[in-house]
Amino acid sequence: MLKWTLQGLFLAPQQLLASIAAVAGAFVLVLFFEGVFSGESEKIVAMIERTEADVWVMQKGVGNMHMASSFVSDWKVGAVASVDGVKKVTPILYLNSVIEAGGRSWISFIVGMEAGDPRAGPWKSAGGAIVPEPGEAIVPDIFALDAGLSIGDSIWIAGRNFKVAGFSADTFSMANSITYVTLDDLADTISTIGAVSYLLVDAEPGVDPQALATKIMVQVEKVNALTREEFARRDFSIAVQMGLEIVWIMTLIGGALAVLLTGFIVYSHITGRERELAVMKALGVRDRAIYFSIMTQALFIGLMAFALAVLVLLIAMPTTEMLAPKISLGLSANALVRAGSMAIIASLLASIIPVRRVLSVDPVSAFQQ
Amino acid sequence: MTNAIVQATDLKKTFGSGRTLVRAVDGVSLSVAAGELVTITGPSGSGKTTLVSMLGALLRPTSGSILIDGTDISTLDEAGLSGLRARTIGFVFQSFNLLEALSVRDNILFPAHLTKGGVKQAAPRADELLERLDLTTRQNALPRTLSGGEKQRVAIARALINEPKLIIADEPTGNLDSKSGQEVLMIMHDIARDHGRSILLVTHDQRVEEVADRVLWLEDGALRDRKQETREWAHDPVCNMRVDVWNSEIYSDYDNVRYHFCSKRCQDRFGKTPKQYIGATPQSQSHQEERPS
Ligand SMILES: Nc1ncnc2c1ncn2[C@@H]1O[C@H](COP(=O)(O)OP(=O)(O)OP(=O)(O)O)[C@@H](O)[C@H]1O
Ligand SMILES: [Mg+2]
Repeated sequence: MLKWTLQGLFLAPQQLLASIAAVAGAFVLVLFFEGVFSGESEKIVAMIERTEADVWVMQKGVGNMHMASSFVSDWKVGAVASVDGVKKVTPILYLNSVIEAGGRSWISFIVGMEAGDPRAGPWKSAGGAIVPEPGEAIVPDIFALDAGLSIGDSIWIAGRNFKVAGFSADTFSMANSITYVTLDDLADTISTIGAVSYLLVDAEPGVDPQALATKIMVQVEKVNALTREEFARRDFSIAVQMGLEIVWIMTLIGGALAVLLTGFIVYSHITGRERELAVMKALGVRDRAIYFSIMTQALFIGLMAFALAVLVLLIAMPTTEMLAPKISLGLSANALVRAGSMAIIASLLASIIPVRRVLSVDPVSAFQQ
Repeated sequence: MTNAIVQATDLKKTFGSGRTLVRAVDGVSLSVAAGELVTITGPSGSGKTTLVSMLGALLRPTSGSILIDGTDISTLDEAGLSGLRARTIGFVFQSFNLLEALSVRDNILFPAHLTKGGVKQAAPRADELLERLDLTTRQNALPRTLSGGEKQRVAIARALINEPKLIIADEPTGNLDSKSGQEVLMIMHDIARDHGRSILLVTHDQRVEEVADRVLWLEDGALRDRKQETREWAHDPVCNMRVDVWNSEIYSDYDNVRYHFCSKRCQDRFGKTPKQYIGATPQSQSHQEERPS
């Protein structure tokens, strides 16, 4: 029976290959989209994770970086610094703005950092200065690629002119790029006086960040303090929440596509072989065994398609990153497990489609000419 | 009959209802003993296929009862019927019905999957059948590469693999040339005689009457004797072969006498020089059918 099931599929190898490729296309769609999304989500927390501050201090009531704006009076920098166990406090201003240069524009987060202190600056340089001087900006290397920028060129941030002093790596993504200017320049640009957005706190060696965060909240009024892990976790989960719905919709669309394609394939496979089904029934094969056989066929197609999709992505991912560096891809084990389960569920659903057809085959028709 | 493999009583099968009602089988009773080869013939549409479908546990009768190897099959559900068919009945069809994707050997072994012993226990039997039906050299071939006669021999081997007590064959020679058809009939004959299987054979093939233990004539869904006995035989004046006047469609009238032919070729030859052939054989001679006992 299993022989009949699988050898039957291989009777028309081109057709089988085309079907597997089509279903694989649906899986690639889902996995690729998830990949783009999860790559983007990882970029969201890149700054929090890569600057490696032990504790982040922000305005009371604020709990994340991307869906809130935080203002902390600048006298609290000193207050936090005097908390026992704090080694260093680095204030930043942080906001979302449009950057224009060479006829192009990008949305970017702007980090205003204290002049001369690289603590909150880019974690990886791609050339030029690491820290911006007044009137200067450090921009993602991809901007340079995009608009042919080089050091010394002019860019516009929130309507104000800056000079490109350096490039940073790993700071670009479609929705979460980071540009660095001095804190004073940024404060000036947005007319903010006496306030910063976040304080990056480094703890003394051996001090527990969680305990330190709690201590800061007790000793300094009207601030929220979170450990790096907690802060990153919250931002990431916001990103996931925003994207989850879309990912789910894509998964459903891809899944439905896979069900329909696989269903169509097994259905047309059955339709061409009703005579054989009649013969098998006449010889004593039960309906149950025939369903099982169809299910096996669908599963075979689904799993082959899934394997093909993963293979395609493994090849496509490095290529994409090379050809389109703007797209950050991340293929997590989670996404694979989800798509794999989707392949199995889609196959099982697809094998329901021809059930009626199988039931309606009359074994007596084996006697017909 | 105590050793009957098939025992059918007052079988009826109707299709449709009202004005479109068809009485395909209308009150047939028969029994087939172990080792008996029973032939069913009759005009097209007389209900032969419907009858053997019911006797083969493929179709439920409208009324009447069927015992197969002592089991009243109306007591079985679909799965029970499937199991009974797999174990007890072998089928041979007019259009061979081999499974396209499987080799000759796998086709023969296919029904063995449905039994307890499985393919493992059936393998030696498959070798024996391949040998007996002269298929050993073709055992790895795919069905589409076989001749009609070979296909039907594979189908017969498949029908025999589970050593069923009953074989049902509906027009097994219908798609075969005369020589292959003859061969298939001889194989059927051997199976019944040498291996004690009961065979129900639907056929229009006249030659079967020489190998059958019993010939049943089905007409309008009922078994009849009369037509069988008053069956008319003619001899082709050209080749002198026996022709069934009832089913004959090739004939010419000459000198107020109707002559029947075995083939268009004989008819043409007759047409050219009829005088050469008449007078030699008696025409349209009615006679009682002799019956092998
Ligand atoms: N499923 C069905 N529905 C309706 N009518 C049917 C069905 N099966 C058979 N019949 C009718 O029942 C009658 C007997 O058909 P059956 O096929 O048993 O004849 P047959 O003797 O096998 O004919 P042939 O020699 O042409 O094979 C025919 O009139 C046929 O049209
Ligand atoms: Mg028929």
